[in-house]
Amino acid sequence: MTLLAKPWIWAWGAAALTFALTIGLTSGRGAGELAYAALSFGAFAAIVGLGQMLVITLGPGNVDLSIPATMTLAATLALKAMGSMPGTALLGLAIALAVGFGAGLTNYLLILLLRLPPIIATLAASLIYQSLAIWSNRGLRIKPPEALADFATGRFFGVPNVAWVGLGLAVLVWIALERSVWGRWLLATGQNMRAARLAGVPVERVRASTYLAVSVFAGLAGYLLASFSGGAALNMGAEYLLMSIAVVVIGGTSIAGGNSNVPGVWGAALFMFLVISMLNSYGAAAGLKNVLTGAIVIAIVIAASTRKGRK
Amino acid sequence: MKISTMLIGVASLALCAGGALAGSHLANTADKRIALSNNYAGNSWRQAMLQSWEEMGAAAVADGVVAAADAYTTSESQATEQAAQIQNLILQGYDAIVINAASPTALNGAVKEACDAGVVVVSFDGIVTEPCAWRIAVDFKAMGKSEVEYLATRLPDGGNLLEIRGLAGVFVDDEISAGIHEGVAENDQFEIVGSVHGDWAQDVAQKAVAGILPSLPEIVGVVTQGGDGYGAAQAFKAAGRPTPLIVLGNRQDEMQWWADQRDANGYETLSLSIAPGVSTLAFWVAQQVLAGDEVPKDLTVPFLKITQDTLDETLASTPEGSVANVTYSLEDAQQVIAGAK
Repeated sequence: MTLLAKPWIWAWGAAALTFALTIGLTSGRGAGELAYAALSFGAFAAIVGLGQMLVITLGPGNVDLSIPATMTLAATLALKAMGSMPGTALLGLAIALAVGFGAGLTNYLLILLLRLPPIIATLAASLIYQSLAIWSNRGLRIKPPEALADFATGRFFGVPNVAWVGLGLAVLVWIALERSVWGRWLLATGQNMRAARLAGVPVERVRASTYLAVSVFAGLAGYLLASFSGGAALNMGAEYLLMSIAVVVIGGTSIAGGNSNVPGVWGAALFMFLVISMLNSYGAAAGLKNVLTGAIVIAIVIAASTRKGRK
Repeated sequence: MKISTMLIGVASLALCAGGALAGSHLANTADKRIALSNNYAGNSWRQAMLQSWEEMGAAAVADGVVAAADAYTTSESQATEQAAQIQNLILQGYDAIVINAASPTALNGAVKEACDAGVVVVSFDGIVTEPCAWRIAVDFKAMGKSEVEYLATRLPDGGNLLEIRGLAGVFVDDEISAGIHEGVAENDQFEIVGSVHGDWAQDVAQKAVAGILPSLPEIVGVVTQGGDGYGAAQAFKAAGRPTPLIVLGNRQDEMQWWADQRDANGYETLSLSIAPGVSTLAFWVAQQVLAGDEVPKDLTVPFLKITQDTLDETLASTPEGSVANVTYSLEDAQQVIAGAK
């Protein structure tokens, strides 16, 4: 019962079920392959999802829509600077993280100084980031340095390296949320910003650090994804806009803010990959695939939220 | 060698001059202004398309062929936004508008307004159905079918195919896929055992293929839509499966991969797509219409096919990370027009 009360159990349960259904089709063959692919591709969704989760925890109206553009810009500039040359991987990483930091700072300043709603501010800023990415390299795909590409596609103890990064980040975020003062501040701000401010929580510092974190995560995800798939492309971030929000909601984090759930983000990230793989494996047509994905997502969200209601 | 190249140069110059002279019974277009209305710029193909237009447009203005050749791109790829853009271009007094449309039907109202205002409208790639406009269309169905026909020549015994489709719900995706399925129906030694949407992007295709591969039997060939072949190859490699025959789509990273594989193990395949420079073909068609030539309303763009023999040459002329391209000339446009008459 206590296990069933955990909001993340639904995402993990759904991921396990879709995994079993897909493997059932091949009577067990390819289970390892599928798990490995799910961990690889789930990692990117999990990294951006963790960032989006922090922002959504800030309370109603807080969401970062500039994630795809930040990913694209960070990856484009990092790969251009590395220019496929060996030994530049750390330089590229620094650039990607710096771009993420800059984007986060811009987003937050737009929200703070112009008093724009975060949805508008991040959407408008994302047009600028995307244009910068286009302008800086006109969509040319530059290959990552060989060693970096090997790292991004490689494995360690049978688990993809990118998944290790994603898992490490999840642990960090979990510690920050559950075991640090900052985490308490974030949750308090999300539950009631005014009350938190009156209680002496430095609300603006919390907001600033959250918007910085999500963009830095997006920069990291862009860097890893470009290294993984052989170069940055202008449309590489597109699917991570809805994905980042979906994994947060499916993972059991409250969309109204003030309540986050780290394990759920990973469960949902695996599920989002596995459900498409399952529908593809069963040969569902595109329209049906979208309808089914939507229906399953709604079902999980309802299941996870009614549980919370009964608590 | 020097002299012979020079001679060829002189000969081609003479041919060009001849072509220009042949066109000289037509009206002068030196004071005409042509605009490009483009709905999307967010991938390497569209970037190359815009670059071709800019380079060729600048040359055409410098040579006094036209007075202006400006490019405009909408930011959100919405049909409503592009319709408003076309209305602006009419007000700005352009003589011709070349369109890569967001939708085949949603712009018809704006296109009709342009025609009524005496503006020549030429649509290409993303065409419009409004009868008053010219259409430079791609036979996407034939493109899909020719992929299967190529596979049939290479794999006479047939086998299982994996189909990578484009963006769900887009007309181009339906057409190419229909052509592929038609080809498979005629070559029944093949069977499509899996189909995924790769959204014409390497990373999306890689993800989708990695997800479906564990449930698939042995795959002999992969039919694609362009921009997805490299991602598919990566997914097969990551799964530790033998690389099947993947039909490619003219992207530089795909061709580089092909060349590497060929050098390593004699890999052979075919690559085909539409050259982004088709925007320049549309420019010359618009110019010819403005000059008073009788141009049929429906024209077809030739595919740019890359084979084992032309791989090295094409690879050398394609900028790293871009897509194989051709810039069309006035003569090319005249040929396409003559072919349709």
